[in-house]
Amino acid sequence: MEQLKLPPIDYGALLPMLILFGAACLGVLVEVVVPRRARNAVQLSLALLSVVASLVAVVLERGTRTITIGGAVAVDGPTLFLQGSILVLGGVSLMLIGERSIERGGVFVSQAAVTAGSQKDAQQAGGQPGATEVYPLSVFALGGMLLFVAANDLLTMFVALEVFSLPLYLLCALARRRRLLSQEAALKYFLLGSYASAFFLFGVAFIYGFAGGIQLSVVHEAVANPQRSQVLLYVGLGMVAIGLLFKAALAPFHVWTPDVYQGAPTPVTAFMAACTKVAAFGALLRVLYVAFEGVRWDFQPVLGGIAVLTMFVGAVLAVTQTDLKRLLAYSSIANAGYLMVGVLALNDEGLSSTMFYLVAYGFSVLAAFAIISLVRDPDGEATHLSKWAGIGRKSPLLAGIFTFILLAFAGIPLTSGFTSKFAVFGAAVEGGQTWLVIFGVITSMLLAFPYLRVVVLMWLSEPGESTPAVSIPGFLTSAVLGLGVLVTVALGVVPAPLIDLTREAAQFVR
Amino acid sequence: MTINPYVPIVGLLILGALFALFSVSVAPIVGPKRFNRAKLDAYECGIEPAPTPIGGGRFPVKFYLTAMLFIIFDIETIFLYPWAVSFDMLGLFGFVEMVLFILTVFIAYAYVWRRGGLNWD
Amino acid sequence: MNAVSTGEQVAFWILGSLAVIGALGMVLARNAVHSALWLVVTMLNLGFFYVINSAPFLGFVQIIVYTGAIMMLFLFVLMLVGRDASDSLIETLRGQRIAAIVLGIGFAALIGTGLARALGSTFTVGLDKANANGNVEGLASLLFTKYVFAFEVTSALLITAAVGAMILAHVEKAKEDKRDQVTRMKERFRPGNYPGPKPGPGIYANTMSVAAPARLPDGNGAERSISPILPVRELSQAEAAPKGTEK
Repeated sequence: MEQLKLPPIDYGALLPMLILFGAACLGVLVEVVVPRRARNAVQLSLALLSVVASLVAVVLERGTRTITIGGAVAVDGPTLFLQGSILVLGGVSLMLIGERSIERGGVFVSQAAVTAGSQKDAQQAGGQPGATEVYPLSVFALGGMLLFVAANDLLTMFVALEVFSLPLYLLCALARRRRLLSQEAALKYFLLGSYASAFFLFGVAFIYGFAGGIQLSVVHEAVANPQRSQVLLYVGLGMVAIGLLFKAALAPFHVWTPDVYQGAPTPVTAFMAACTKVAAFGALLRVLYVAFEGVRWDFQPVLGGIAVLTMFVGAVLAVTQTDLKRLLAYSSIANAGYLMVGVLALNDEGLSSTMFYLVAYGFSVLAAFAIISLVRDPDGEATHLSKWAGIGRKSPLLAGIFTFILLAFAGIPLTSGFTSKFAVFGAAVEGGQTWLVIFGVITSMLLAFPYLRVVVLMWLSEPGESTPAVSIPGFLTSAVLGLGVLVTVALGVVPAPLIDLTREAAQFVR
Repeated sequence: MTINPYVPIVGLLILGALFALFSVSVAPIVGPKRFNRAKLDAYECGIEPAPTPIGGGRFPVKFYLTAMLFIIFDIETIFLYPWAVSFDMLGLFGFVEMVLFILTVFIAYAYVWRRGGLNWD
Repeated sequence: MNAVSTGEQVAFWILGSLAVIGALGMVLARNAVHSALWLVVTMLNLGFFYVINSAPFLGFVQIIVYTGAIMMLFLFVLMLVGRDASDSLIETLRGQRIAAIVLGIGFAALIGTGLARALGSTFTVGLDKANANGNVEGLASLLFTKYVFAFEVTSALLITAAVGAMILAHVEKAKEDKRDQVTRMKERFRPGNYPGPKPGPGIYANTMSVAAPARLPDGNGAERSISPILPVRELSQAEAAPKGTEK
C-alpha cells in the first residue's frame, strides 16, 4: 500500500479559526478546573482575549489569497473581511453576554436543567450566578462562523454550519427570565434548523451527483460544461439554497425568526442578528458567486422573487407587532431582503456593498438590543410596546439613542442605514436588477412606519404608572452602546474608508 | 462478486428467522392444553405490573444524558476504525491527527466527569 | 462501467419496499413509540442498501450509530410524551394535514421523477477506483487528508453536544445537598422514623400486585407497604378471584 501524503497546510491562514477552537476547548477545561466564583471573570477574559487574538491573526493575514488544506478552506478577500467583521461583532456581542451588573447573576440561567417554575427555579432566579458555559459555546459558534465563510467545499461548509448552529440552539434555551418561552424558542430553532440542515445535505448529494465533486471550483467547472442532466444541478442548488436561506432568515424560511428572537436571551438575540447574518450571507455569497455563477440567469429571478417576498413580509408584519423584540426580528427579516438585493447584483460592486451592509447593520442591531436589555420592570425586560410609552420623558438620553438607531434602520441620511442601502441598491441597478431596487424602496418606506410609531410612542405619550425603569448600564453595555452609535454615525458620515476596504476585498479565489 | 462474504450472514439470518417461526408455531400444536388462569398472568412467578402512572410513564431526563454520552463516544469510535485499519498508510501525521481528535473529545469527557454527569445520583 | 445485477435488483425491490413501508408507518402510527419502531425498519434497510452499494463500512456505521440514535429517540418519546400517549387528531392549524400530505407527495414525486430522468441511463462511475484499496482504506485516505479539517472540527461538534447535554439535562448538586453515610444513618434512626424494612406488598394477600397493600395481623391493609408513587387501587373481581391453581 502506498503511503498517503498530508496536503499542504497554510497554518497562518487557518490561525484565526484555530485560535477560537483552541480557546473554546480551553474554556470547557476552565469549567472543569477553575472554582465557580472565579469562573465568570476568567471565562469572559479568555473569550474576549481569543477574539482579539483571532482578529489580530486575520489582520496579519490580510494579504493572503490562497486555498489550503486540500481545498477545504479558501482564504481570500471576502473571507478575511467577513471573518474580521464576525470577530468584531462577535466580540461586541460577547460584551453583552458578559454583562452581569444589570441583573443579579446576568441574563443567563444558573442551571438550565432545573424545572422551570419549580421551587428550586425560584431560588436560582433570585441571583445565583448564571451559567458560564455560555462563553465557550459562543466562542465555538464564532469559530464555526469563521469556517462557514471560508469553507471551499460543501462538506466543510456543512460541518461548519452545524458547528455554529448547535451552540446557538443551546444559548437560546438559557434565559433566566421567561424560561418556558426561551426553551420553546430553542426547541423550535433546533427542529427547524436541523430540518434545514437536512435539506442542505440532500442538496450537496445532488450537487455531487451532478459535478462529481463538492469543491466549489469543481462545481463551477461542471456548471460550465455539464456532463450530467441539469435536473441534478437545479434540485441540488435549490436545496443548498434552502439551507442557507433558512440561516439568513429569508421568507418563506423566516418563520422561526420572530419566536426565536423573542424567546432567546437578549444578548444571544443580538449575537444571532449580527453575526449569524454575516456568516449566512458570507456563505451564500461564496456559493452563488464561486460555484453557481454559470447559471445566474436561472437562479436570479427565483432568488429575486424571494428577496421581494422577504422585504414585503418583513415590512408588513413589522407594522403589526406589539413586542419590540418581535418588531426588530421582522425588521431583521426585511434587512435580509435588502442584503439579498445586494447579493443578486452578482458583480464585484454587489459583493462589496453586501459586506458593507452586513457590518453597518450588525453594529446598529447590537446597539438596539443593548438598549432593549436596559428597559426593565420587575418581571425582567419590558419588551411590550405599550410599556415603552413615554419613556422619552423619563430617560431622554436612552430614548434619544434608540430613536437614532431606529432612524438608522429606517435609512435616514447621515446614518449607516442610508449609506448601506444606497450602496446595495446602487450595485443592484448596475447589475441590471432595477426591479428589485424599486421594491426595495417601496418596502423601505413601508418599514419606516413601525420605526416612527415607536419613536412617536416614546416621545409623545405620557409616561404611565407601569412605565418601566431604565437600568444604569454597566461598563460593558455602555461600551456596546457607545460603539454601536459611533459606528452607525461614522459609517453614515464618512463611509469611504470601509467602502474602500470592502472594494479591495471583493475578489473570491476559485 | 463483492457480495460473497455476506452470504453466510444472510444464511444465518434466515436460519434464525426460521427457528423463531418454528418454535412459536410448533408449540401450540404439539404441547398439551390444560386451562389454568395463573398462566394468563403477565409472568407466572413475578409480581403483577403496577398500573401505569398518569401521563403514561414518562422517563426521567437522566437517561437522556447517558444516551447522549453514549452517542458521542460511539461516533468517536466510528472515526477510530478507519484510522486503525489504514494505520500503515497514514504515517505520523495520521497519528497526530487522531491524538488531537481524541484529546479534544477527552475534554468533553473531563467536563462531564467533573460535573458529576457520570454519577447516577 | 457495470450495469445493475439481477441480485441487486431483487434486493433493491425487497429492501426498498420495506424501507418505504417503515417510513410510512413512522408517519402514520398514532403512538410515538410505534413511530420510533417503524423508523428502525427504515434505518436498518438503509444500512443494507449501503452494503449492497459497495459501501459496507457506511452500512455498518449506519446500523451501529442508529442503534444509539434510535435509543435516543425512544428516550425523547418516553421523556416528552410518555409511553401511552398518542397523537391528537385536533389540527392546530386548519388544513395543515391536507397541505402537508399534498406537498409531501408532490415533493417526493418531483424528486423521484427528476432523479429518474436524470440518472435513468447512468452507469456506475468510479466505484472500482474508490474501493481499489478496500472500502475502509479508501474512506480513511479521504478523511485523513482532504477532509482532515472537517474531521477535526467534528470534535468541536462532539464537545458542544456533550456540554449541551450536561447543561440541559444535568442538575448539579450543591455542596450542602450532598450527604455522607453518617448523616443519612442519623436521619434514618431519628425518633419518629421507622428504621426497619417496610413490609412487602402482598403478604397474606391473594394478589401479587405491588399496588395491593400488605395485610396486618388484624386484617387491615398496611399503607406503608405500598410505594408512595403508586396510586392506591381496589382489586377488580377477576383479580381477587382464586386463580384456579388448587386443581
